[in-house]
Amino acid sequence: MRPRIIFTCLRSGIAACALMIAACAGNGEGLDANGRPLMPGGDMSLPLSDDFESLQENIFTPICSVCHVGASAPMGLRLDAANSYNLLVDVPSTEVPSILRVKPGDPDNSYIIQKLEGHAAVGAQMPFGCPTSQPCLPASTIAFVRQWIMNGAPPAAASGVNAPLSITSVVPGDKEMVPTAPPQVMVAFNHELDVSQLATYSMHIEKLGAGGAALRLDRVQARIAVSDANLRALMIWPSRPLTSGRYRVVMDAGASAHFSDIAGQTVAAGIPDELGEPVISTFDVEVHP
Amino acid sequence: MIQCLKAAAVAAVLIVLLRAAPAQAEPYLALQEGYKCNVCHVNPTGGGLRNEFGLTYAKVLLPAETVDNAIDSWSGKLTDRLRVGGDLRADWTRTTAPNSPSQQAFSLDQFRVYADLTILPDKLGIYVDEQIAPNGSQNEEAYVRYGSTTDGFYVKGGQFYLPFGWRLQDQTAFVRQLTGINMTTPDKGVEVGYEHAAWSAQFDVTNGASNATTGSGYQITSQVVYTKPIWRVGIAGSSTQSNAGDRHMGGLFAGLKTGPVAWLAEGDLVHDDSFPGGRTLAAALLEGDWRIRKGHNLKLTAEYQDPDRSVRNDQQTRYSIVYEYTPLPFLQLRAGYRHYFGIPQNNAENQQLILAELHGYF
Repeated sequence: MRPRIIFTCLRSGIAACALMIAACAGNGEGLDANGRPLMPGGDMSLPLSDDFESLQENIFTPICSVCHVGASAPMGLRLDAANSYNLLVDVPSTEVPSILRVKPGDPDNSYIIQKLEGHAAVGAQMPFGCPTSQPCLPASTIAFVRQWIMNGAPPAAASGVNAPLSITSVVPGDKEMVPTAPPQVMVAFNHELDVSQLATYSMHIEKLGAGGAALRLDRVQARIAVSDANLRALMIWPSRPLTSGRYRVVMDAGASAHFSDIAGQTVAAGIPDELGEPVISTFDVEVHP
Repeated sequence: MIQCLKAAAVAAVLIVLLRAAPAQAEPYLALQEGYKCNVCHVNPTGGGLRNEFGLTYAKVLLPAETVDNAIDSWSGKLTDRLRVGGDLRADWTRTTAPNSPSQQAFSLDQFRVYADLTILPDKLGIYVDEQIAPNGSQNEEAYVRYGSTTDGFYVKGGQFYLPFGWRLQDQTAFVRQLTGINMTTPDKGVEVGYEHAAWSAQFDVTNGASNATTGSGYQITSQVVYTKPIWRVGIAGSSTQSNAGDRHMGGLFAGLKTGPVAWLAEGDLVHDDSFPGGRTLAAALLEGDWRIRKGHNLKLTAEYQDPDRSVRNDQQTRYSIVYEYTPLPFLQLRAGYRHYFGIPQNNAENQQLILAELHGYF
């Protein structure tokens, strides 16, 4: 009697499995090409094109930023809409620093293309796990990324041009804990900066001691730079990898005058520290051996 | 003229067979024979190095043609304490997707070698699974094992594959993709296992694949399988704590032998908080393996995947037919056809694949 019950259960289970599998594939109605629902009120999504906004919406946000987001983003590369352009264009790759992630005008020597096409010198093809755990990007999709780079990798159309100059993003962000030494600190602005006003002391990174209120501050040796290809992002490159500890990104006293856009607007940001210098971000690095 | 026709027919058969796809120890073989995984494999959860019985099975019972003195051929034992083995798979695939040119290529799918060193018999051993090619050497499994893997408790520590559902040969199966637990994603940690009579159970604490680069978080995985001569059932669960978002999975799997056909079924449910707002995903597999005669197997699979249970019309299915021919010990030829069905606006979800594989193992 007992084996009969077991057989009946097994057969029922297998039949249920068969019934579920026999269901047809989805017809895709109301979905975009990634299988995600279209915006209410109709198809508000951008068709895939060689425009950065389209690449962000169709590739970087739905596919790449599943992993490349937040403090734990692999290689410190965040590909969410707030950070992807600034961390891609004219920024050296972490795996092969001699190759830029996106080299405007030169897709073959752009690391992102090498990673997407699977012939980078280091690491796995992206999206991670393709083609085993997810499909690789089709060549026809990568072709749009190539074309965007070939066009000079222009940013998305500017928005808020009449808004005051402000900081739109800092990576690592305030109160974040990053598990690996960030290759750079990135401060993004909503307008292009007037680089003639920048000086090497405009912004710096400090390492905070473990003394609580009696902080001992070490200024991290670093260089700052704004790429000609992206005048909206200021990069601070530590000369040595940051070790575990708490850090803060500080604008030098009076340096706000050095951060201005080409219209002459200056930026006001950050919370003054004990010296009156605005702190843009305080973050922790917790490097695991 | 007749000879020409015969030669053409033989050539045609060879071409078809060379277009075949893979085969090494697969769970359907265990189901057809009523074996647990550890009957044929050193690893109690299956796959990788075959033990003495597994190699004997591969030499005598699996191939269509029995070779003289096959039993005395390769034994895998370099010494009383050291056993080695390997798998080499070379394949040819042709992929066609709508609105895209077809792509075809020969490739070395994998060349892997295994070694098991018995330090204290039935007590202590070291196991290594190393992929040699393609793309250079890469360690898949390397662990120390303490205890008996045939009767009683054992502990593994190091890097190994996690136990979750059917350990299928096809790592691209929806159930293996969705769970992220397959033979391309080893993890580091500790496994406590129990083997006794019809029962097999494992409990694993590992880093979690999604925590590989973050240095934080953990994954707990557990599986229990009850095996009888013509059927078996299993239940598996896994929970990952990660800064990227927690992930919880549950799966049920079962097998049943009806005459020459072995049926495998698996259903998995995943809740993944790494997606904004969280997502629940599901996948199912139904596989039938018909042993037409010794050395010949016809595999039919039907699969289902729902990448987001809260979204309608996004389901995917996949159907495969694969013929597996094992003419001689240590050699297998496989050929197959696979058709994906998904939403029409995504070409990759509607691709077709023809594959052929040459598989040598020892």
